[in-house]
Amino acid sequence: MTSETQDAKQPVDPLDLRNLVETMPLPAVCALPDGSVEFVNRAWQEYTGCSLEQLSGWLWQTTIHPDDVARFIDEWTVALAGGTSFQTEARIRRADGQCHWFLIRKVLAVTPTRGRESLQRTLIACEDIHERRQAEVKLQQSEALLLAFFENSPNLIFVKNPQSRYVYANKAFKKAFHISGEVKGKTDDELFSAEQAAAFQAVDRRVLHTGLLMKYEDVALYEDGLHTRIVQKFPLFNAEGEIYAIGGAVTDITDRKREESALRYSEENYRLVVETAPDAVISIDERGAILFANPATARIFGYDPTELMGKPLTVLMPEFLRKLHEKGFSRYLATGQRHINWQGTELTALRKNGQEFPVEISFGELSRDGHRVFTGFIRDISERKQAEEMRAARARQIAVRADVSMAFGKEESLKTILAECSEAIVRHLDAAFARIWTLSDDGEMLELQASAGMYTNLGGPHSHIPMGQFKIGMIAQERKPHLTNDVFNDPRISDRAWAEKEGMTSFAGYPLTVGDRTIGVLAMFSRKPFTPETTETLASAADLIAQGIERKYAEDRLRDSERSLRHLTETIPQMLWSAEVDGAVDYCNRRVLDYTGLPAEQVHRAGWMNAVHQDDSEQMARAWKRAVSSGEPFQYEFRFLRSADHTYRWCVSSALPLRDREGRIIKWFGSVVDLHDWKEAQQALQMTQIELARVSRLTTMGELAASIAHEVNQPLTAVINNSSACLRLLAANNLKPEVLRRALEEIVADGTRASAVIARIRAFIKKAPAEPSELDVNEVIQEVLALAGRELVENRVLVECHLAKFLPLVLADRVQLQQVLLNLIMNGIEAMIAVTDRPRALWVESRVDDSGEILVAVRDSGTGLGAEADRVFTPFFTTKANGMGMGLSISRSLVENHAGRLWAAPNFPIGAVFSFTLPVSAGSPA
Amino acid sequence: VTSAPIVFVVDDDPSVRSSLKFLLSTVGLQVESFGSADTFLHRKPPDAPSCLVLDVRLPGSSGLDFQRELAARHICIPIVFLTGHGDIPMSVRAIKAGAVEFLTKPFRDQDLLDAVRIALERDRARREKEKEVTDLQQRFDSLTSREQQVISMLVSGMLNKQIAAQLGTAESTVKVQRSRAMGKMHAESLVDLVRMIGKIKGPSEKAS
Repeated sequence: MTSETQDAKQPVDPLDLRNLVETMPLPAVCALPDGSVEFVNRAWQEYTGCSLEQLSGWLWQTTIHPDDVARFIDEWTVALAGGTSFQTEARIRRADGQCHWFLIRKVLAVTPTRGRESLQRTLIACEDIHERRQAEVKLQQSEALLLAFFENSPNLIFVKNPQSRYVYANKAFKKAFHISGEVKGKTDDELFSAEQAAAFQAVDRRVLHTGLLMKYEDVALYEDGLHTRIVQKFPLFNAEGEIYAIGGAVTDITDRKREESALRYSEENYRLVVETAPDAVISIDERGAILFANPATARIFGYDPTELMGKPLTVLMPEFLRKLHEKGFSRYLATGQRHINWQGTELTALRKNGQEFPVEISFGELSRDGHRVFTGFIRDISERKQAEEMRAARARQIAVRADVSMAFGKEESLKTILAECSEAIVRHLDAAFARIWTLSDDGEMLELQASAGMYTNLGGPHSHIPMGQFKIGMIAQERKPHLTNDVFNDPRISDRAWAEKEGMTSFAGYPLTVGDRTIGVLAMFSRKPFTPETTETLASAADLIAQGIERKYAEDRLRDSERSLRHLTETIPQMLWSAEVDGAVDYCNRRVLDYTGLPAEQVHRAGWMNAVHQDDSEQMARAWKRAVSSGEPFQYEFRFLRSADHTYRWCVSSALPLRDREGRIIKWFGSVVDLHDWKEAQQALQMTQIELARVSRLTTMGELAASIAHEVNQPLTAVINNSSACLRLLAANNLKPEVLRRALEEIVADGTRASAVIARIRAFIKKAPAEPSELDVNEVIQEVLALAGRELVENRVLVECHLAKFLPLVLADRVQLQQVLLNLIMNGIEAMIAVTDRPRALWVESRVDDSGEILVAVRDSGTGLGAEADRVFTPFFTTKANGMGMGLSISRSLVENHAGRLWAAPNFPIGAVFSFTLPVSAGSPA
Repeated sequence: VTSAPIVFVVDDDPSVRSSLKFLLSTVGLQVESFGSADTFLHRKPPDAPSCLVLDVRLPGSSGLDFQRELAARHICIPIVFLTGHGDIPMSVRAIKAGAVEFLTKPFRDQDLLDAVRIALERDRARREKEKEVTDLQQRFDSLTSREQQVISMLVSGMLNKQIAAQLGTAESTVKVQRSRAMGKMHAESLVDLVRMIGKIKGPSEKAS
């Protein structure tokens, strides 16, 4: 092509061109741009057997095979017109009528420069490629044949490129491996399990490396059972002697295998197989001495085959198998009883360099010249073992993780869960024992939660390990795992004697961490060294357990709080409910249901109204509706039907709205409190107060007589005075009518007043005084403080009680004692009314005094008694604007009636103290 | 020289107060009434015979306390006690402390009027006695100090010449001074003079 372009730029004389064409050994033509031929060379004429005339112009195309001519002309015309390159293959008829394949291509394009010849000439050369073409066809035919052969072969046949990509795989291959799609271009990794792929590729590499045929037997599981297959892999060399592909053929020899005992390989075959086998083939005699070892033995065991001759087979075995082998072998020779399976037994073998490795051994026996010869095929399965180990490790890891996850998924206590975790570790990782500690809340102590394996006791010296101490505490503190496969020489293992005795070799401890917090330690001892896979599994288990514990803690916290809240709502001695925004009750706690005796669904919505007294229900519903629409807190007192005794009881229901951030009500929370008992108590208390007041008047009747007489005598005196005065004036004949009228008016008023006093007195006297009884003074004090409570609160008086415990009882009239105490307390309160510059404090004290009597003192911080301390008990002495001046006098006579004393003294630093004593009751256990 | 007597009534009960006033007025007595002891104390003592009708039970203090307070203030007004419910110990205490009468309400009108009359009489007598002493004191005060000395010595029983000797003067001088002082004192005899001086000295000695 390059030369063509260069030539095109050179002016060539057509005559010169003709000469050039004529001298070409190949058939050639010179064409004009319209596709017609100007001339053909001699070689062409000779080949076709046609004259120049028969070929020039368009005629030459008649020599093209009719099947090719249409395509040819198309390409030809396009190329000549466009001046582009042109190359095609076509059959051209020879002089004898046979058609040969020619490669027809444009060789040269010439643009003449001399005037008359203005048309461009194109030189076309034709090369006879018939033979090559025929070879190709043959090849194609043979390829098709091969393909058919491969495709229909019962053997598995495949070809891979050096990159282990499949170039071809036959039907049987696809069928055997259940591959439905295209195999071409794929690798083993895409078609097979990782393990299988690795094994296949290992052989591929070996083929590529050695350039030798690899042939081995392979057992695979098919639907109808185990099949034995001969696998052959071989390099495909190109002409340069380089391996360009790997061929593979797998022959199922199961049937043949079954008849194997009947078959005998020829010596050559046998040798060939043995010499080329990738497995070690070793024959021994009856003494166990090695007769023969194949070349593979060197690769596998490291011994030169010649070196092994005559040596006992046991040199290839580790120490612990030698005795077993010798015993088993001699027993077999004697009894024919096999001590191991002869086919595919996995054992440990020993290399020359002392390394132990796993092997799979199959062996057979044959007799030769009257001697029994045993031949074993020993396959190094380290890689397979390793792959298996890895798979097993992965499976263990998955199992541990699964078990741990499952344990944490259970609704169990943390201890139970961790026990399962430690058991899983022991089970799957073959630990001697595994333990889990958790860190206490204060972060000081690691507490043993679980122990599985040889030790399951949670007590003992390891139950509590301080943070930072011993190996476990250090793991927790440093937050770094501690791993060793050599516990004897590990400085952190304290009890080496124990480790030696128990055969422990390895220890692994992992901190259980969440974020940057340590929450525990997972540790295990093992009698076998840890593989990286085991430690990886442990690390991942530690991670899972830590997360699990943390989640469990969180769950427990949540559950606790939720439980305590629910517990609270359900056990709180109060009826609780909640309602939706529209006021429909959507929740009532147990108490409500118990109280009303209604099932939840009957209380919800507005069902609770059924338990409300009919006189209250309408009003209450209105109040609730108002609260719901206004968002105001709700409170309503109503009568609620209690199912237990079927009575209506006074209750108060209150509710507050819960609002969201925007202030919208999202829920109402309410309570119902049964006020009934409280109300009754209030009423009872009121009644008691009234009673007390009434009785106190009554009991002091004797003392009050003076006062009462005074009250009555006042109007009486006025009446008599007025009447006497009138009589005197009348006698003196000096009574003026208006004077008389005024006097009579006063007499009527005073008479009325007197009768009112009498009526009051009559009201006083209704009940007889109470009988004296044995009383606890402290109890009476508490009663009176309760009675005076309102006065105390209203006058902002603080009461402090100093009541001696276990006071002996006194024999007294309860009401009179109350009267005295109430009088003293009220006096104290009144004495402090004017006090504004200091706290109004009232101290009430009870104790046994030196003489063994009960002493009660009431101290106030009031204005004090001044010089009048002695006179306060005088009848009619009063410091109060509306007092009768009789209270203390009466109190003193009451106390004295009980054989006690009542006196007053200044209080220190301010105020007064009134004390009284009462003798201890004779019946009281003093 | 004597103005109309006044009866003071102290009772916290308005109707009792007014009825007492009415009753006492029927016998022509001038009555002033008070609701409490305090208001009574604020009244200027009268220059006339008077007495106090006092209720035992009083707001702020008891009637007996008030009696003591009056005594402490040297207010010698006769008291008639009234009580709604008087007992014997209380009345004994009141009488001992100088009360004229202790009447239990209601009382007979005559009893009150009698008690008031007695009280007023006692006050009049006391006032008259007080007036005589005051007169004598004035006469005594009008003497020269030498005359007072001479009289005092005479009253103590000394003879003229003894007095003269003690004062370092002549007996005749003493005689002149004696007759002049007797004249100023309106004493008719030595016995009369002794009685007069006794009346004056009583209270003044107590006071000193």
